Amino acid sequence: MTDATSPISASKAPAGLLGRLEGSWSWIALGLAGLLLPLLDDSYFGVIAQRAYIYWILGAGLNLVVGYAGQIAIGWVAMLTLGAYTTAALAAGRVGGVEWHPYLALIASGVMGAVFGVIVGLPALRLRTFYFAMTTLGFATIVTQVALAWKDVTGGGVGTPGPVFPWPFDPGWGFYYFCFILAALATWITSNIGSSRYGRALVAIRDAEVAAEASGIAKPKLLILIFLLAGGLGGVAGGLFSSLQSYITPDAFTFEMSVLFFIGILIGGRGSILGPLLGTIILTVLPEFAAPLVQWSTFLYAALLLVIVLVIPGGIADLLDYKNRRPLEQHREIVPRPELLSRIFDVKSGPSAITLANIALHFGGVRAIDGLDLEIRSGEVHGLIGPNGSGKTTTLNVISGYYRPNSGQLKLNGAELPINKPYARAAYRIARTFQTPRLVGGASVLENVMIGGTIDGSGTFAESMLSLPRHRRDEKRLNEAAMRALATVGLESLADVRADRLQHSELRFMEIARALMLRPAFLLLDEPAAGLSAEEIRRLGALIKAISREGTGVLLVEHHADLIFDICDRVTVLNLGKTLAAGTPAEIRSHREVVSAYLGA
Amino acid sequence: MFASIVSYGLAVGAVYALIGITYNVMFSASRVFSFTAGMLGMLGGVLGALFINGLGMNAVLAFVLVMVAGAVLGLVTEILTVRPVLKSIEQHLYVLSTLAFALMIQQVTAIEYNTEPQPFPVLFPIDPNSWLGIVDQKFWLPVLACIVTVLGLEFLYRCTLIGRAFLAIAEDSYAARALGLPETRLRMASYAIAGVIGALAGFTGAQMLLAFIGNQAILNFYGFVPVALGGMGSNRGAVIGGLALGLFQQAANFLVGGIFASVAVFAVFIIVLLLRPEGLAGAAAARRV
Amino acid sequence: MPTSVPESRSVEPLLQVSGLSAGYGKIGVLNGIDLTIGAGEVVALLGPNGAGKSTLLKAISGLLPRTGSITFAGQDMSKADPGETVRAGLVHVVEGHRVFTQLSVIDNVMLAGYGMPREKRVVQVEEALAFFPDIAAKRHDRAVTLSGGQQQMLAVAQGLVRRPRLLMLDEPSAGLSPVLVDRVLAAVARLREAGTAVLLVEQLIEKALAASDRVYALARGSIVLEASTGEDDLPNRLEQAYFGKDAHAPLAS
Repeated sequence: MTDATSPISASKAPAGLLGRLEGSWSWIALGLAGLLLPLLDDSYFGVIAQRAYIYWILGAGLNLVVGYAGQIAIGWVAMLTLGAYTTAALAAGRVGGVEWHPYLALIASGVMGAVFGVIVGLPALRLRTFYFAMTTLGFATIVTQVALAWKDVTGGGVGTPGPVFPWPFDPGWGFYYFCFILAALATWITSNIGSSRYGRALVAIRDAEVAAEASGIAKPKLLILIFLLAGGLGGVAGGLFSSLQSYITPDAFTFEMSVLFFIGILIGGRGSILGPLLGTIILTVLPEFAAPLVQWSTFLYAALLLVIVLVIPGGIADLLDYKNRRPLEQHREIVPRPELLSRIFDVKSGPSAITLANIALHFGGVRAIDGLDLEIRSGEVHGLIGPNGSGKTTTLNVISGYYRPNSGQLKLNGAELPINKPYARAAYRIARTFQTPRLVGGASVLENVMIGGTIDGSGTFAESMLSLPRHRRDEKRLNEAAMRALATVGLESLADVRADRLQHSELRFMEIARALMLRPAFLLLDEPAAGLSAEEIRRLGALIKAISREGTGVLLVEHHADLIFDICDRVTVLNLGKTLAAGTPAEIRSHREVVSAYLGA
Repeated sequence: MFASIVSYGLAVGAVYALIGITYNVMFSASRVFSFTAGMLGMLGGVLGALFINGLGMNAVLAFVLVMVAGAVLGLVTEILTVRPVLKSIEQHLYVLSTLAFALMIQQVTAIEYNTEPQPFPVLFPIDPNSWLGIVDQKFWLPVLACIVTVLGLEFLYRCTLIGRAFLAIAEDSYAARALGLPETRLRMASYAIAGVIGALAGFTGAQMLLAFIGNQAILNFYGFVPVALGGMGSNRGAVIGGLALGLFQQAANFLVGGIFASVAVFAVFIIVLLLRPEGLAGAAAARRV
Repeated sequence: MPTSVPESRSVEPLLQVSGLSAGYGKIGVLNGIDLTIGAGEVVALLGPNGAGKSTLLKAISGLLPRTGSITFAGQDMSKADPGETVRAGLVHVVEGHRVFTQLSVIDNVMLAGYGMPREKRVVQVEEALAFFPDIAAKRHDRAVTLSGGQQQMLAVAQGLVRRPRLLMLDEPSAGLSPVLVDRVLAAVARLREAGTAVLLVEQLIEKALAASDRVYALARGSIVLEASTGEDDLPNRLEQAYFGKDAHAPLAS
């Protein structure tokens, strides 16, 4: 709201946005409305607006959790409860007998919220969505139970008074501006995060977790930061709420409030800031104008939630996303420009090699890989072929760190590569693509590619929050690098298009562009030609060949024998997890055993 | 005090176990955890109280109607909130769709019935001084319901072809579909059965927990804890976990107070989830790429 | 081994597939497949990895959404779900011997007859088990205790319970020892004697050719070759078909 140069510009905004609306004029209008509202001198409106600001302070943080990270935090009202009781109890001297200054108590609420945000969020780091949803629900249930039972501190069912903030934010319009400023700050911070590499990484974790890991994004660390921020904002919102209510009881924090926060975000659309903000304001204000419906409000919210989920999972923002309904050109051709590769690989590195020595991997009793030796050298295309189930993709997954081999060694230039840490591969400049393209469907092609360069940013989370210079430099650099990569694979004209509108073959090239963001020393390609036309395969082959000539070691897992024999420098044939043959394409083609195993005679 | 901890703990634990089984039966058929489990438990009590106290029905008729209502709600859950979402790419939307449906029902209950806890009638006219009355029926009813449910499910799974079809779908729904098993109809049947079990938990537990809309959230959470502890899909785990949870909660309530009990349960829940996500009894699942 | 095409083929075919396309999401795998199978005919479906053989079987049995027309025994099956194709006598044994490991052998086979009248089911289950004495002897053991080969036989037995008119087997030999492969393929031979048509996806080309009357080769989502197994020079023609016409070096033999 205060940020005139909105960091989310219309063309580059992530997932399902209010498209053009997200331009800066809407922020200015909202900010002015908020600033000038006191001129009406209507305290009734003032109270409603304060409530909307407070809800949004919580909602802004929750939006990062729900809308960006895709974590279903249905019980986030617990942070409001926690914050409210912390501020109220500390300010009233119910803990330790010392009456805290209200502003200090408010800060303490933020800290409490942050701490518990992380605790509640822990299961989300490892487990599937439902567990986290249940944990937040359980936490909300328990916080209420504790509020009822811990009479010394919370006053039990009778409740406890909330503090009055002294000058300059004393009750009335002073407090109004306090809430307004904090809400604006929350908006600014979260939209900075949303449009930073951290925001894109969150969305990538949500929609394409494996690709995010391959790009070097460590999910736990990032989620903890988000839970800290969202919990802290929730706690602060709670502190303000206790003052606004002037007296709080456990009844004030109903589960339906949680639903309200949640639906506000979903209505607004995932991955947007303005959408959820408007959603929250509307849901807060609406009941005031529809008094007869108030008792049915939860029912209506829930019904609305059901309709959104079943009919428009992208939220209303998706419906308004005109830009992406404009038809794309029909018969598009991808024409890669391998000559641009030299601009990506601007720093040459010396020769290196990944070596697999006697690697074995069993799943239960099945030997997926059974004593495999393999060397991928820089500057070469190494083909890996073999029948289904011969261990090709498994080999690739071992190299990229998803599987821990039961025995054998995996080394890069003689040093062991860490095992079981797929997100650590990007730092070694080992990039990969996937059999089924992994993408963030709602984000633009450009943003999808930018995800590939996440580890090249130098700004910290805090710098991004405040949009400090280093953050802005990161963004500029990533943007340029991504455009270069897109131009190289021949997709630059589609940079602003939502990725899920691309054809299958275009997605294959987009994945390569994303991998190029790492300036890979090694590139692992998992059936990149699957689903491509003959002409596209030819162009793909030329591109792969050119990448290897820049010094990259390419491992190519492929079924298309013609592509393998065309571009590979060396070929390894797997059968039943073992090397059946290895050599130049010419040697392999004349290898009777290979022909029979590969073709299955 | 010991007797009261044990009787109350086992009774409340049996209700948790039944809700846990409700989660499991729906999960096995569809890989979906539905937030309607707690709603079914809540409604079992509310509808029972409404039919008997409010409308003056006799207990047997009321019981049958409550079970029918549970089955119908189970079917509606499947048709309205699960089936459309299973087709969608983002399957976790089921969390929202089932939650939304559960909240709608809860809100209708709040408006049309009552937001305050209401008493549930005594079902069997047993003289508390006779030998039958040594243990109050509000304690043995849920335990009995739990035993009957477990035996019934065992019979279903072990002795009937439809029960084996449920197991087949739970293990490998793709292979089951290839064999020509009517997956959709079997899933609907599972949801109907889950509806009955959830309603049974609420009906038999309501003399103790009362007819109260607030039970929905409580049962949703405390019914899921045994599933998380015992491993998803494992009914044995749910029963053991549910009874242990009930006993622990009551013991803690009496010995150190309710705040500690709630916080401890929550802490154990999170710790187990983090250390053994597959449950204390479950087997680790392989990671997919 | 008969080298002539059975005469039933010239009459109305049992299965007629035309213009069939299917895939996974945006990835088109099959583009316009035409294929016919006569009653009682054993047809091998060959092709390199990723050619779309399993996808074709799934598209025919209704496990995957598809476009195009499928007629089976005079009925239109273009929109049929697996339950309908199975009831019509078109049974698909999916790859990877996916039996229900927690159930007993007999329960696994019984489930294949789900929905049939009880007496009929019991009779036909025994018939199906009679094909595989090894696993019939283990009928009360849980399937998890079976070896991979036995699980594969169990999967085929499941496919036989409904006395199918066409049985589609997806790589029944995968992961089996040569002895077991022969035993599974011997069952195919017996089925053919009994007049059951079989569509066999196989990696072992020689064994597949020996067991079949006719062969289709699939490459890059299209049928690239159709031939009777009696024709000359079939292995070389298959290799040519797989690698595409512009295969550079001739494959040494």
